[in-house]
Amino acid sequence: MSSFVDRPRYACALGGALATLRAIPRAIPIIHASAGCGHNLHNAINPGAGYLGGGYCGGLALPSSNVAERDVVFGGENRLREQIASTLEIMDGDLYMVLTGCMVEMIGDDVDAVVSEFEDTEKPVIAVHTPSFRGNSYTGYELVLGSLIQRFITRQQQKEPGTVNVLGIVPAQDVFWKGNLKEIKRLLERLGLRVNTLFGEGETLEDIRNAGKASLNIVVSDVYGVEAARKFEDIHGIPYLVTGFPVGAEATGEFLNTVGNALGIDQAHIDAVVESEKQVYFDYLERLADIYNDLDLQRYAVVVGDSNYAPAITRFLSDELGWLPELVVITDFLDDIRKEAVARRFDNFESGLKPAVRFDTNTSSVKKYIAEIWPRNRNQRYYDALNPTVLVGSVYERDLATEFGFPLLTVSYPVTNRVVLNRAYVGTSGALSLAEDLLGTLVAGR
Amino acid sequence: MNYLNAKSAPAREDRLKTNIAFGGTCAQLKGCIKAGCFGSNGCLNLADRRFTETQGCQFTLSLAILNTLRNAVIIMHAPIGCGACSIGNVGVNKTFKQLRDPSAEGVVWLSTNLDEVDVISGGERKLREAVLYADKEFRPETIIVANGCVPALIGDDIDSILADLQTQTAAVIVPIHCEGFKTKVMATAYDAVYHGILKKFVKKPDRRQYLAEPDLEKLKEQYRISRNVNVLNVSSMSRQDELELQRLLNAIGLNVTFIPCYAEPEDFEYALESSLNVSICGTHDDYFVQHIREKYGIPFLIDTIPIGRRNTDRWILKIAEHFGLEKEARQLIDVENKLLDESLEPFRRVLSSKRAFLAGGEVRIVATAEILQDLGMEVVGFKAHHFDQFIEPVFDALEQVDDVVIHVATNQPFEQANLLKRLKPDVLITHTGGNNIAAKHGLPILPLFGPSYNYLGYSGVYEVARRLNRIVRNPQFNRKLAQYTRLPFRKEWYEKDPFSYIKNQDAVVSEEAV
Repeated sequence: MSSFVDRPRYACALGGALATLRAIPRAIPIIHASAGCGHNLHNAINPGAGYLGGGYCGGLALPSSNVAERDVVFGGENRLREQIASTLEIMDGDLYMVLTGCMVEMIGDDVDAVVSEFEDTEKPVIAVHTPSFRGNSYTGYELVLGSLIQRFITRQQQKEPGTVNVLGIVPAQDVFWKGNLKEIKRLLERLGLRVNTLFGEGETLEDIRNAGKASLNIVVSDVYGVEAARKFEDIHGIPYLVTGFPVGAEATGEFLNTVGNALGIDQAHIDAVVESEKQVYFDYLERLADIYNDLDLQRYAVVVGDSNYAPAITRFLSDELGWLPELVVITDFLDDIRKEAVARRFDNFESGLKPAVRFDTNTSSVKKYIAEIWPRNRNQRYYDALNPTVLVGSVYERDLATEFGFPLLTVSYPVTNRVVLNRAYVGTSGALSLAEDLLGTLVAGR
Repeated sequence: MNYLNAKSAPAREDRLKTNIAFGGTCAQLKGCIKAGCFGSNGCLNLADRRFTETQGCQFTLSLAILNTLRNAVIIMHAPIGCGACSIGNVGVNKTFKQLRDPSAEGVVWLSTNLDEVDVISGGERKLREAVLYADKEFRPETIIVANGCVPALIGDDIDSILADLQTQTAAVIVPIHCEGFKTKVMATAYDAVYHGILKKFVKKPDRRQYLAEPDLEKLKEQYRISRNVNVLNVSSMSRQDELELQRLLNAIGLNVTFIPCYAEPEDFEYALESSLNVSICGTHDDYFVQHIREKYGIPFLIDTIPIGRRNTDRWILKIAEHFGLEKEARQLIDVENKLLDESLEPFRRVLSSKRAFLAGGEVRIVATAEILQDLGMEVVGFKAHHFDQFIEPVFDALEQVDDVVIHVATNQPFEQANLLKRLKPDVLITHTGGNNIAAKHGLPILPLFGPSYNYLGYSGVYEVARRLNRIVRNPQFNRKLAQYTRLPFRKEWYEKDPFSYIKNQDAVVSEEAV
């Protein structure tokens, strides 16, 4: 039974669907919903994702049927038919996707029937049911992918060995999605693979259409994209591999090994790639040897984030930066099975540390957990405080950071206090950026 | 006018016969105003489009005001996505509140997160839990419950639930009924919010009563009230704007209180100890000030918005007339105008003869055009969110705009893109939100408003001039975007009449206008 949420860190299914389409060049959404849905969600996605912007056909350019009270009485189907036809006349795209909002689903519009009237148009028109009450942004990502897998991606019997798709990085919800996809692609290409990330740099709708020829889907998440991967398996016969979200040299090494082994790549080749990645990585990281030890830049850490970032960053802090992550709050809606899968990522840190992990969607809870895991100052003369600490979270943690005097690095959605373009936090290059940004906050006043 | 016995404010399509789709010239539009097309006739009232783009609803616009109220928690009674736009407000909200009260907290909201189960069985349980949690966790003065489309459609009896909860909470609970599907006129949001404020915040302040009131105290009190005015601010105004208006009214001997934005709940009580409610924009305030006049006998002024010299002169004079302070006002206006006029000279040399297109709220665009004309610029077109009776007085300050195109559309950047190709302005002055499209025309853009810049009063004229001068100096950012990115509209669209998708062709008075 779900509950209310204190300052949600995601939009709704429609929001996730819009953000996912935002990531596909020349895809045109047609929202069938109340007038405000598109506008509201753009104003959540744009600032929350480090100023992602509306893009080619987003923001206030989003076609939307804007159904109002009188359509509720008579049904919105005629309005939708008119809107699809006029969108095809005006908007220049290669894929048109009808996305529904709450209201039209509640009044029972037969959206699929209306959309099926447009089967013979030159460019495909596909319907996806994305009312807000179906779930949050992550659900929207799965729903759009599910539709593409079912209705758009060409079925191919012949798979290309060495070609893989990457799933599990949700555009906009992962604020650094495009940079992250680029880094994952770079790493996998080093193994000699052809990599389709669906939404990455230079990738187009054609890449999505041809995703059916891959011989493996790699899901870099314990939670997101797993449903899509299953659908891929059912419909296109492509097996999948769940790897988790690799941040740092060790995690990246494991990631490359897991993928390499699954595809039967020569172990010597994998080892050589991992070795050279680590060499480059430590060549940079070594620069910090002086300042880290001169200034004692070890910190306690509190990490607040989603199921991808929270475990990955915590492990990086613990095992590579040598910090002391004490509390991790994971802010997704998760069932018990998924919670267990995510919780397992905190087992067996090389440092031997075992941070307290909490699953909670309420923003106000983070502070309460700090009080729970760390003894209070009872006015004793000598008090071992949780200090110095760095907070890694979202912009919602700013008040907490101010109150406790913790420096804050915003990494998880929403991130409104940074502008994000092609930065990545995943992989080895991403971990170096993360180290730059974390230690950068500590030396900013020098 | 008294709608306060109703559950919620009526839609503006009904109350004001507001129009959201029109294409023609300013002269034609004025003709329509005279003929009553925007008023009681309302023949343009139901005009709409065959193709529409997203446009914002009364829920999102209500939040723009509600988020500013101090010491309040907002409960969005809706599925998880409604009101997610508040994310963009998290940081600046606290800063802006602290300009009014250094100890103010930022915006806090809860979503009742209605899911598939709630759609069938109702959202009452979650609403109750959320309200009680908000009261216990944050101890706010006010809990505002704004409901979206879903509870309205499933028929949650929100008012009864909240009336019951009110007996269990320390905070005052204020319902705001602002479901998006009710209206296509976003500005209905102002009425929806004021409806809640009028019902829950506005009451006579609880002052200490004298057993025997001395005459002198009574006179002092009356004198104080006789010099108080409320200026109704809007969330798109800046603190600098407020300070400028305060400076001008102080200069003629009046005291100013700003409501509703960034106000504390009790500010609405003290606001009744006032002699005049002054709106700066009819689009925002008519619902509130008319109700206050009816219930508490406080007169109001809705005329022009103090943007541009003539509009500011007129605004001050109208207020001064009410208090018999015309002489003081004229002195002030003379001094201010002389100084400002000289200061604008250097900008006129750069800006004169540049051609501008303005898009945004009806009152604001027409008023801002006055600044442009003052700088010697040419106005080549307007795009207004909607149109109703409040536009008329603002036109008075403009010269020779009869042939200028005016287009009514809430957002709808496709029509704007088509118009801009035809009108070929040099500079755009636009409402926020649609600039991923507008920027790709390659033109310099000045935002029509901004909560951290000064636009109002005399200082606002100077600031707008100064910024325009800066912005036209280097439009390379947008120019490069135009060079390397493209707009999403088919080339055939630009060959069609920009108003050809407006359904009610009565609303397209002149195709040859462009």
